[in-house]
Amino acid sequence: MNAGLDFRVERWTLASRSAVAGVVAIALALIAGPFVLGPGAMDRLTILFVYVILAAMWNALAGYAGLVSVGQQVFLGLGAYFTIRLADWGLNPFVSMVAAAAIVGIIAVPLSFPMLRLKNGEFAIGMWVLAELAHLLVNLDQLVKGETGTSLISLNAFDAPLRRATIYWLALAAMVALLGALFVLLRSRVGAAIQAIRDNEEAAASVGVRVLTTKRMIFVFAAFGAAMAGALWLATALTFQPKAYFSVNWTAYMIFMVLVGGIGTFEGAILGAVLFFLIETWFGAAGVWYLIGLGATALLFALVLPKGIWGAIESRTGLRLLPVGYRLDIRSLLTKKNGTT
Amino acid sequence: MTVSNDKSRSGLTRRDFIAATAAAGAIAVAGRAGFALGQDAALKVGFISPRTGPLGGFGQTDGYVLDLARKALAGGFQAGGKTYSVEIIDQDTQSDPSRAGQLAKDLINNQGIDLMLAVSTPETINPVADACEAAGVPCLSTVMPWEAWYFGRGAKPGEPSPFKWTYHFGFGVETFHQTYISQWSKIETNKKVGVMYPNDADGNAIRANLAPLLAKDGYTIVDPGAYETGTTDFSSQIALFKAEGVEIFNSFPIPPDFAAFWRQAAQQGLTKQIKIAQVAKTGLFPSDIEALGDLGKNIASAAYWHKAFPYKSTLTGVGGQDLADGYEAAEGKQWTQQLGASLSLLDAGFEALKAASDAKDKAAVAKAISTLNVTTVAGKVDFTSGPVPNVANGPIIGTQWVPSKGGKWKFDYVVTENVTDPNVQPEATLVPYNS
Repeated sequence: MNAGLDFRVERWTLASRSAVAGVVAIALALIAGPFVLGPGAMDRLTILFVYVILAAMWNALAGYAGLVSVGQQVFLGLGAYFTIRLADWGLNPFVSMVAAAAIVGIIAVPLSFPMLRLKNGEFAIGMWVLAELAHLLVNLDQLVKGETGTSLISLNAFDAPLRRATIYWLALAAMVALLGALFVLLRSRVGAAIQAIRDNEEAAASVGVRVLTTKRMIFVFAAFGAAMAGALWLATALTFQPKAYFSVNWTAYMIFMVLVGGIGTFEGAILGAVLFFLIETWFGAAGVWYLIGLGATALLFALVLPKGIWGAIESRTGLRLLPVGYRLDIRSLLTKKNGTT
Repeated sequence: MTVSNDKSRSGLTRRDFIAATAAAGAIAVAGRAGFALGQDAALKVGFISPRTGPLGGFGQTDGYVLDLARKALAGGFQAGGKTYSVEIIDQDTQSDPSRAGQLAKDLINNQGIDLMLAVSTPETINPVADACEAAGVPCLSTVMPWEAWYFGRGAKPGEPSPFKWTYHFGFGVETFHQTYISQWSKIETNKKVGVMYPNDADGNAIRANLAPLLAKDGYTIVDPGAYETGTTDFSSQIALFKAEGVEIFNSFPIPPDFAAFWRQAAQQGLTKQIKIAQVAKTGLFPSDIEALGDLGKNIASAAYWHKAFPYKSTLTGVGGQDLADGYEAAEGKQWTQQLGASLSLLDAGFEALKAASDAKDKAAVAKAISTLNVTTVAGKVDFTSGPVPNVANGPIIGTQWVPSKGGKWKFDYVVTENVTDPNVQPEATLVPYNS
C-alpha cells in the first residue's frame, strides 16, 4: 500500500491467481486424457481444443488488433493442404502438421503487406477473396484431385490408440502453447500497443506506436494458429476435401464463438469455444435449423450483449481471471473518504 | 475481501463446468462400452448415406430399403451357427463430407458398430472409409467410380493396397468405356464427342482414363478443359462444341451444373446438333430429368441398377420388379436405380457377416469381405478377381429417358444395351436426342 497515494495499480488479484492456477491444473489433468478417456471422448476433446485455438486466434485478430477478417479459413485450409503435401513427399505426418503451420506462418508475412493496407470492411472482404483464391490454387494440385480431395493415409501406419493419443496431445500442446504465447504477448509492450491501435489507430501512431509492425505480428501469429488448427482438424478427419476446409463456415463459427463468449476478452474466446462445442454436440444433428439457430444467437448477442457473455460479467463484477491489462484499486481511497465525512 | 470471494467463486464455477463436461463425456463413453460388452448376441451395423442436401436424390429411397432390411432381420440373423439380433443405425450426412466423417467416428466410437456400410458419392464414402480405415472397422461401400475411391484416397498404381479395412464394389472407368462404345454404336454419328469433365475426382479420373480409351476406338474427343463446379457461364464451351460440329455429348457433372449447361446449350442452339446426350452422375433419377422440362427427353444415361435386373436380394428375397413396384406403392414416387444399389450393399454386407468365422470379430469380417463372391439384387459382387485389391467391379447398363407411354410418370427409364451384364435384357433401341 502506497502511503502517499491512496490507490494502487494491480494486475494480479487473488481471483486471477487462483484462476491461472486452475487453468494450469486443468491443462495438467488433460494430459492424462488418453489413459482414462474412451476414444469417443478423446476425439471430442481434440475438436474442442481446435475450437479454442480458432476462437483465440480470431479474437486476437479482431478483438485486440481490430482486424475483422472473414477469410481466416484461408490459413486453416492451407495448414491442412501443406500437411497433406508434405506427408505425400514422405515426411512424417505429425512433423508435417507442425511444419505446415510454420510454412503458412511464413506465407502470411508477404501476404500481410497488401492485406494490412486495407481498412475495416475492405480488409474483411479482401481476406475472403484471398481464401477463395487459395482454394482455387490448391485445387490445381494433382494430388488434391479437385473438389474430391484426398486422404492423409500415411497416418494409418500408426496404430489407432497411439495415433489418437498423439493427435490429442498435439492438439492440447498446441492449444496451451498458443494461448500461453498470446497471454504473454498481450501482457508485453506489444500488447499495450495492440490495444492502443484497436482503440484509435491515429492516436496510437501519434504517441509512437509502430502500427503496421504490431498489426503484422498479430496477423502472422493468427495465421500460424489457424493453420495449426487446420492441420489438427485434418489429422482427426483424415479426409482433405478443399471445399470443406476453405469453407466460410469456419469463419462464421469463429465469429460466433468470439461474439458470444466476449470479443476482446481473453477468457471470452475460451468460454465461447466451449459453448459452441456444447451447442454443436447437442444440436448439430438438427441440420439447417442448427445453422439458423447459430446465426440468430450471434445476431442477438451482437445487438443485446455486444461484449458477449464474458464482457458482461467483466463489466458488472470487474472480474478478470486471466489478466492481460491493469486495474486501478481505489477501495482504500473510498474507505478513507467515507471515514472523514 | 468480498470482491476476492466473488472472484474465486466464479473461478470455481468455470473450472467445475469444464471438468463436469469432460467427466460427463467419459461416463457416457464408459457406459456405452459396458453396455456393448454385455450383449454378445447383438450385431450393430452403421449405414451412412446422403438423405438431405444437394445429394439428397441418392438417399431418397433409403428409408424404404432399410425398412425392408429391418423386416427381414426382425426374427434374428443367423451367422456361424449363432443367432444375432441386428440393429442397423442409419445416419444422414446432409451431403456434407465433414459431417460424414464425424458421423462415422460417432458410430465407431460411441455406438460400437461391427460393420460400416456407406453408399453414394465420394463426398459420403471417402470420409467414412477413411474413418473406418483409421479405427480398424470393416467398411463396405458402393456407388462411386472405384478409381476415385481407391486412387482418390491415396493408393498408388502398381503398389500394394494401403487399405486393410475398407472395401468397395461397383462400376469403374473401364465399365463406362465398354458401355459407351456399345451404346454409341447404336446410332450413326460423326464420332465427334464434346466432353464436359469437371475438376473433381470423377472428372479428372474420367479425363485421364476414359477419354484416351474412347479416342483409341475412333472417337474424336473435343475437350474444352476442366471447369470448376458451380460455374454459371458455359458460352465458350458451347461455342467450341458448335464450331467443332460435335454430335455426341458426354459429361460427369453435378445436377445443378448440368441443368445450367444444358439450358444454355439449348438457348445457343447446340442441342439441335446433338444425336446422343450421354450423361453420368446427373440424370440418374427421375427428379434430375423432370427438372429439365422438355430438354430432359431422350437423354441417355447409364444405370448401376435397373428394375430389369433379373436377380433377387439375398437378404430380403425381393426381386427387381417387386422392389420397384413395392417402392412406388409405398411411397407414391417413381422407382429409382438407387433402390437396388442400396439393397445390394445391405445384401453384400450381411453375406460377409454370414461368411465370417465370427461376426463379432472385426478382423474376421474384413477377411470375409476380401474373399466375398455373391450375387446380390444388383448382380455379382466378386472381391476375388477385382481390378485392384479391395475392389470388386460391377456393371453399368446403358439406358435412356423416354416419354412415358401411358404410365403415371413423365418419363420411363429404359434399358438400351447390356454389354457389362448380359443377363439384363434390353427393352428398347436408343433414340437420337434431336429426333
